[in-house]
Amino acid sequence: MIGAVPGSVIVAGVAFAIAIGAFMLIPLLVVIASSLSGSEFLVFPPRNLSFKWYAEVLQSDAYLAAGWTSLKLAFITVLASLSLGTAAAIALARFAIPGRALLSSLFLSPLILPSLIFAIGLLMVFSSYADGPSFTGLVVGHTVITLPYVIRTVTANLADMDPHLDEAARMMGARWWQRYWLVILPQCRTGMAAGAFFVFNISFDDAVVALFMRAPDVETLPMRIYSTLEFSPDPSVAAVSTIMIGMTVVLVLLLNRVFGLSRIM
Amino acid sequence: MEQLVVEGVTKRFGTQTVLRRFDLRVKAGEFVALLGPSGCGKSTLLRIIAGLDRFDEGRVFVAGREVTGLPPEKRNVALMFQSYALLPHITVFENVRFPLRMRNRHARAEQAERARAALSLVQLEALGDRYPRQLSGGQQQRVALARSIVAEPEVLLLDEPLSNLDARLREGMQVELKRLHDQLGLTTVFVTHDQTEALALAGNVVLMNAGVNEQQGTPEEIYQRPRTAFAADFIGGANVLALDVLPDRAGWRGRLPDGTTVPLDDADGLAAGRRRFMLRKEAISLTPDEAMVTVPGKVEIQNFLGGQTRSVIAVGGLRLVAVNDSKKVRASVGEIRIGWSPSDLMLLDD
Repeated sequence: MIGAVPGSVIVAGVAFAIAIGAFMLIPLLVVIASSLSGSEFLVFPPRNLSFKWYAEVLQSDAYLAAGWTSLKLAFITVLASLSLGTAAAIALARFAIPGRALLSSLFLSPLILPSLIFAIGLLMVFSSYADGPSFTGLVVGHTVITLPYVIRTVTANLADMDPHLDEAARMMGARWWQRYWLVILPQCRTGMAAGAFFVFNISFDDAVVALFMRAPDVETLPMRIYSTLEFSPDPSVAAVSTIMIGMTVVLVLLLNRVFGLSRIM
Repeated sequence: MEQLVVEGVTKRFGTQTVLRRFDLRVKAGEFVALLGPSGCGKSTLLRIIAGLDRFDEGRVFVAGREVTGLPPEKRNVALMFQSYALLPHITVFENVRFPLRMRNRHARAEQAERARAALSLVQLEALGDRYPRQLSGGQQQRVALARSIVAEPEVLLLDEPLSNLDARLREGMQVELKRLHDQLGLTTVFVTHDQTEALALAGNVVLMNAGVNEQQGTPEEIYQRPRTAFAADFIGGANVLALDVLPDRAGWRGRLPDGTTVPLDDADGLAAGRRRFMLRKEAISLTPDEAMVTVPGKVEIQNFLGGQTRSVIAVGGLRLVAVNDSKKVRASVGEIRIGWSPSDLMLLDD
């Protein structure tokens, strides 16, 4: 098949692929390189290679507190989004709910709607009916914007499932709760894992909802990075970012090891 | 003793009636085939016996106990699905143990023992640690079978058990199913659209058509004495002839469309008028002898099928299909005399 394509086209294609790869990777490399700078200011290329900004970050109460907040937030969001999203996907796949098509588009709408608009609305709701922005508000916001990912990945699992599994389990004497726990949920495992990965990354990385739902006592890591960049741009920002990149890579490797990435994405 | 009784079951989907006051009685240990074309209601009947589908009228009894309205998990009926429906996330052994685990009538060690015994019945004891996707289609089916029998069901249901296998595996599985049935004596009901499968496996064939029990009997009875044109045609594809029956000094004669008459054997219910008769393809001889009824015919098409040869013959304004031993057929397209024994031309009920 390759033989039928002119050489010039192949060369152009390869160049294009390299260009795309470069555009995706260069920003990461710039950030990683800058984090190793020994200077007082965020510059590229880095000067005087040093790990001192990593030490700085790991000793900074502000970064550690923000990192802890972001981790807690991401973890609680994963739990909330995973349980709600899986339940919704199962309900949509298995039951003839009235308005099913409408519901399923509604659940996916956060993917399309600008999260900015959603964040403004969320802020107004929390200002009117609660005590303004709060950690809870962030959990709610992140759960809403991440729900579509879980619903999509779990729905894909359920579509692949042999439709007779549930009936076969009934024939074998399984009660309804046994069928959910031992038959249906296990088929959703890979979708739930992939969904959890997306949810964790999105929540950990989000700056838009966090910007609007910023409470005086709640600062997430992206907000910390942003305000550092704004007021005293030193290489600690790059060091934190590099740690975040590292975390993502570890998560991907872990996921690949347990489930195989090709099976879940 | 009847192990399974279906009494006057009617099932409607909207305005369409899928089963019409259907009756079925299966004795303990019987091997019954529900045979019919697609849409005849056979799969619906199986699902009703399983408890998976509701129905509008009638009652179902399993092992003398009424199970009408009882959900499948509270019946002791096993169903092997056409797709096998093995649980993909647990091993073969855990799949086979699953029904025992759900019913929880035995201790864990006893469950394992029984699951192993069921696996060895289908000769898969060595593959217990594999996952279903690591097995071939034929092996997966044997796992499904082991899983269906492990909890000693009161009735075993099989949905098109051989349709997902290629021709070579199918024959092996037929032997296996029959052996397993003879060995365990489980009351078994299976659904098929394949008449050869039904005749080869079942001790009793229930021929279904448009939601009714068309005819029920042993494979020999169903084949040799079909009562209706549908039965005659569906089982073995017989020639169905509409003849005008006329009284004659010696008995009865049948008149073909072109006026030729042939003698008829006396049969119950034979009377003057237009009646339908069945003539098996194999009953038509291209080299008739004196004992046969002979008529002139014209061979229009002849297909060599290997051991047998199929001929399409125009006879007295009708077109008949004959299948003969290839050794007894001289390659001949054209005018010949064909014949059949008078008893082969059998009166049908409708």
